[in-house]
Amino acid sequence: MAARSSPSRIWILPNRRTPGLVAVLVGMWYAGASQGNAAAYLLCFLILAVTLVSTIHAWANLRGLTLRAGNIPAVFAGEELAVPVDIESVGGKTHFGLEVRARSGKSTATKATLDSPASQRIELRLPALRRGLFSELPVRLSSAFPLGFITARRNLVLRQSFYVYPAPTGGLPLPRALAPTRQPNSGTRVTGDDYGGVRSWQTGESQRHIDWKAAARDQPLLTKQWTGEAEEILHFDWASLAPLEPEARLSQLTRWVILAERGSAAYGMRLAGKTFPPARGHAHYHACLRALAEFSDPAVADVV
Amino acid sequence: MTARPRPRPTSEIETIPLLGVIAGLALAALPLAPRLAAWVLPLFLACAGARLWMNRPGARLPSLPVKIFLFALGIGGVGLTYGSMLGIDPGLSTLLVLVSLKLIEANGERDFHVLALLGYFLALCDLFFYQDLLASIYVAAIVGLITATLVRFHRGAGPRSYWRATIFALTLLAQTLPIVILLFLIFPRAYGGFRFHFSQSLLGVAGMSERLSPGSVSSLALSDEIVFRAEFPDGNMPPLSTMYWRGGVLWRGDGLRWEARSDLNLERRPGQLTGPAVLQRISVLPHGARWMFALDRPSSDVPRASYQPGGYLQSRRTITTKFRYDVVSRPTNRETALPPDQRVAASQPPREISPRVRALVDGWKKEAAEPREIADSALQFFRRERFSYTLSPGSYPDDNALDHFLFDRREGFCEHYAAAFASLMRIAGIPARVIIGYHGGEYNALGKYVIVRQADAHAWCEVWIKDSGWQRVDPTEMIAPERIASGLASYLESRATQFDPDAPERSLTATGWRQLQRELQRDLRLVWDGINYQWDSRVLNFDEDTQRNFLLSLGLGAESWAELLIWVIVAIAPFLAGLALWLRHAKSIARDEIARAYERFCRTLERAGLRREPWEGPQHFGARAAAHFAPQADPIREITARYIELRYGRGASDAAAFAQAVRHLPKLGGYERNMK
Repeated sequence: MAARSSPSRIWILPNRRTPGLVAVLVGMWYAGASQGNAAAYLLCFLILAVTLVSTIHAWANLRGLTLRAGNIPAVFAGEELAVPVDIESVGGKTHFGLEVRARSGKSTATKATLDSPASQRIELRLPALRRGLFSELPVRLSSAFPLGFITARRNLVLRQSFYVYPAPTGGLPLPRALAPTRQPNSGTRVTGDDYGGVRSWQTGESQRHIDWKAAARDQPLLTKQWTGEAEEILHFDWASLAPLEPEARLSQLTRWVILAERGSAAYGMRLAGKTFPPARGHAHYHACLRALAEFSDPAVADVV
Repeated sequence: MTARPRPRPTSEIETIPLLGVIAGLALAALPLAPRLAAWVLPLFLACAGARLWMNRPGARLPSLPVKIFLFALGIGGVGLTYGSMLGIDPGLSTLLVLVSLKLIEANGERDFHVLALLGYFLALCDLFFYQDLLASIYVAAIVGLITATLVRFHRGAGPRSYWRATIFALTLLAQTLPIVILLFLIFPRAYGGFRFHFSQSLLGVAGMSERLSPGSVSSLALSDEIVFRAEFPDGNMPPLSTMYWRGGVLWRGDGLRWEARSDLNLERRPGQLTGPAVLQRISVLPHGARWMFALDRPSSDVPRASYQPGGYLQSRRTITTKFRYDVVSRPTNRETALPPDQRVAASQPPREISPRVRALVDGWKKEAAEPREIADSALQFFRRERFSYTLSPGSYPDDNALDHFLFDRREGFCEHYAAAFASLMRIAGIPARVIIGYHGGEYNALGKYVIVRQADAHAWCEVWIKDSGWQRVDPTEMIAPERIASGLASYLESRATQFDPDAPERSLTATGWRQLQRELQRDLRLVWDGINYQWDSRVLNFDEDTQRNFLLSLGLGAESWAELLIWVIVAIAPFLAGLALWLRHAKSIARDEIARAYERFCRTLERAGLRREPWEGPQHFGARAAAHFAPQADPIREITARYIELRYGRGASDAAAFAQAVRHLPKLGGYERNMK
């Protein structure tokens, strides 16, 4: 799943502290030259040489590192992606002051120091701007170690697929079912009228249905299940939203799916070329959202 | 809705690097104290303390109004103290006030680097006020401290992080040495043409002045500050007691007060000088005036110097940095013609001549007609009458000081005797002048050079003798011959023991011990001065001319500065490339044995087909490995347990035993093979 980043070139670049250093160096040189003071020259050359040598150390500090992205939880567009990044030292050396940022958009990153032979996990946070299924994340690894007056930088690509669901917007009310169905219920659900036993809790499920009494008895987390009849079945149809822009349609569908999952009705969805029969639950919910994230309108080719 | 004031920020700089950079700034600022307004350094220290106090948890940094108030207070204070913001002292005080303000508001990464750069810059300022080896070492230590603090800042907190950062910084500095040397040798130096030049010396040296008045030389007599050092590259060194270092000639005399005059026609070259040529290489320390020194009397051309009437050298520019020159001197003068303006200047008698003085001189003239004999009579007078040679002759009245000195007080230092003698000669009608400079010095046998200090300051006379020219007469020799023979220090010392009432009671061993101690001290001082001198003459004297000669010897003399810069880059590139290559293969210093052994263990398992996942802790991995390689489960469990104990436990396990266990890990059999 997690794939290695490809090796890439290391750049040594000036940063916003470099002009200050240059000003001090020029001042030292001028003082040495105008006063004929050899000691001032010597100091100027010393600082200059330390800066030059520090570039080599900055370069070595970024060598021999591998970055991998862990599982990236899906978010809605406009929210913040939390990307767990494992930094690993290949050569077993120590690396200091590492900073990882996404190459596009504003992102925050914590600094990491890597003591051999451990790997360290940092969390990269960046805004998810567009919906979609992404297979890689371009990032920038940088460090100002050892002196801070220059920065070593390396561009990497984290290979990890993740979803960004469309932003849930749109003010249209939930479409009512054309005819109330009176079909017998096909199975157990997390909502309903009659208690139907428990099963083990899965990550991502609502905490409201956890059997807390059982949890207090030191049992593993369990989800209470209910049987009963659904009052109604909701149908969301891509085609029914025709007057809207394609992206607005996706957003509206996303919002409906969320609302429906919060409610008690079973819901189904029809996209161009894809149909989801009415159901409820975690798996169904995410399957719908993934489809919405990945969706490309066959009629409008240039929508991404 | 009311706008809430923005909350004041809390400190973002770790305390330890902050402490380091403050220490660097304080060390750099301390030597500047004599040139700062008295309140500036306390202000700096108060700001440093306040900033550290703000680093306590929950504390906040000062708000903008407070900063503006402090800024106005500091700048206004400098203006009030000096009455002006221009000049070196107000400039330095302003600089330090700004550093203090920056310190108190510094927050975040960028400000931290600004503070470090200010530390480097203050260290540079130190180099203008102190120029000996000790100052260079001190500044190097400050640079080391600040660099280590920067490394520590980027390294982050950790066990012994500062110590490791210091080691790293020292390594870094050591790796720069070849580049520094290359840059120092080849980097094109600027040839003058700078508008801004300190008009006075920053070193605050008291030295000779162009006036001789009672007390002007004796005030220097206790200063052991070095004026210049002289080498004799030919090996031809005259005895110390005959070394009269000519510094200047005073023509205008009035009793005990003498001064230089600049209205005489310039001499092109000194007249006929004969005798053995003595080549000297003289390194003058900056003294803020134009004095240059050479043994009596300089006879060769010296670049950047002019000959002054009276045959002494003067620098064309104020000497504010170390300056070295070669000069040849010849001891004997054979001039026969005295230029008319000099004759007039050298014959001007004192304005006031008391009857007693007139009678004294008339008496000598009656006895002898020859100037040489008259001079001898005067010297005899000094010897016969009870004149005493003393460092504290007291002050003489401005009126009739000569009479008072010759007949009443009869106490004086060399300037009194030289001035009185020259005045007497002029009254007798013999052209005379006073020479100021230094006499003797201390010979450093280790470095084979002579150290001349302020304490060696001296004044003597020259009288014009027809057919033989200007002849040196040193009246001090008559009064205190030992002073001339062995120097002032030992003269004073011998007089002190002479008058010490306890001297006979002291046991012999005690005096012997003291003597030994004194000699040891003297030797150590000479060794230190020797190293200092080497640093001075080899490194600090490497100026644009020396560089030109050096480049000529390399065959690079004709290159323009742009070509030289290319040479600099060409010469530096291999060092950086070599360093990169070395770092590529070098193992990290921080990697310890335990980590290495565990890594080997992981590699072995990986080769056998079981990879440690990045998220996997040693315990989990150990359990998985033990299950995977069932026949080797025991050694794997042992290694894992030892590693966990060493790493995370109380260290009860033995690192060597752990390494051995890793080494003796049996060959790992695959899971599949075991199934057969």
